Amino acid sequence: MPLGRLFRVPWLRPVVGAWPWALVALGLVAVRLSKGAVLSDAYALISRPFWPGSAQKEWLQAAQQVDQQSRLSQLELDNRRLRTLLDLQRADPGKVTAPVISREPGDWWHQLLLGAGEIQGIQEGDAVIAPGGLIGLVESVTPTTAQVALLTDTASKVGVWVGRTQRHGLLTGVGSSRPVLRFLEKDPQVRPGDVVVTSPASTLVPPGLSVGVIQSVDEKAVPATVAVVQLSAPVASVDWVQVLTRQGPAPAGS
Amino acid sequence: MGRLHRRPVFVLSALVVPLLTLAAPGFLRLGGVPPSWAVIWLLPWSLVDGPLSGALAGLALGLMLDALHLGSATQMPALALLGWWWGRLPRRRPPIERSFSLGLLAMLGSAVLGLSVLLQRQWSSGWESLLTAASLHTLLAQVLVTALLAPMICSLLLLLWRRHSATARG
Repeated sequence: MPLGRLFRVPWLRPVVGAWPWALVALGLVAVRLSKGAVLSDAYALISRPFWPGSAQKEWLQAAQQVDQQSRLSQLELDNRRLRTLLDLQRADPGKVTAPVISREPGDWWHQLLLGAGEIQGIQEGDAVIAPGGLIGLVESVTPTTAQVALLTDTASKVGVWVGRTQRHGLLTGVGSSRPVLRFLEKDPQVRPGDVVVTSPASTLVPPGLSVGVIQSVDEKAVPATVAVVQLSAPVASVDWVQVLTRQGPAPAGS
Repeated sequence: MGRLHRRPVFVLSALVVPLLTLAAPGFLRLGGVPPSWAVIWLLPWSLVDGPLSGALAGLALGLMLDALHLGSATQMPALALLGWWWGRLPRRRPPIERSFSLGLLAMLGSAVLGLSVLLQRQWSSGWESLLTAASLHTLLAQVLVTALLAPMICSLLLLLWRRHSATARG
């Protein structure tokens, strides 16, 4: 028996007798080779009650939000600068803040009357935004008032763009609180929840303004797919709006 | 023809109609739809002042309201027709003053007005969208709220204007 014979060698006897230690050493080598598999698992098991909780998560999310907001404003600045370089938008749009002095969102006409007009630099066709996004276009102007055709009015037609699938469509009011988005092709591959913004190629309205969210899609409609859009700005309860005037602080061509 | 139109105060009272249309007080709405103030003012005016004055008042109101609204849809023909019709009603009949009849007349009037606007607006945006749920809602709500308000306001105006035109005649 080879093991019995090895025990009889005098100087090998302690070495062979220390086989449990050899097992431990082997185990340590295995731990080393596996980059600490057992150790870190054991540490995770023991320290589980002390793991970072919801408080840390909220801090992180807040930090992330601040980061994203600063990046967003930076990107907006960049975007505007590049568009000016490309000559897409001749002048920086100025913003005129105006109060809503009359609203008829439930009547035959879906319109607002604003308490600012020609004197403040508002022109026909200027885009009107509220907290949440685009709500309509200026239809007519008097010296101190401006009449806004809301996106829900049956006469309103605005070219929009679904960013996720990069498809164009025409946002048409139908007299209810939710306008209808008519696509140009049969299968635009949109689904409920997609965000609708103004067309990036548009020269009538400022590009990239958020408009709303697609609520339902009717793929069987003829001649092309039709979707119902929920506007992101609360039209019925808005008191102050901003008019994006096209004659900005620096006049075009100067 | 009555003599109501010779009193500037009463003629100027028509200016309340566009102002109320613009103000659109929230507590006088049904489902977000305001009543048709033009019908509520025009009904007692025509009943007291006769068909010609009623039709002219309808045209004037129509001009003012069209100026305030978007698009090319006009309320002038419907209002002029209503003014002429209501002005002819008192001939050879006992005068209309019961609140039920006033409510019915206002109801018919606002239905005619609403339908004329609906047809014009649908004409421009295509016939397939005719009689959508939204336009039916607007039409029904406006007819109902006008018919509910008319007996209250119209009978007061009718009383006031009848008394003045009677004293002016007598």
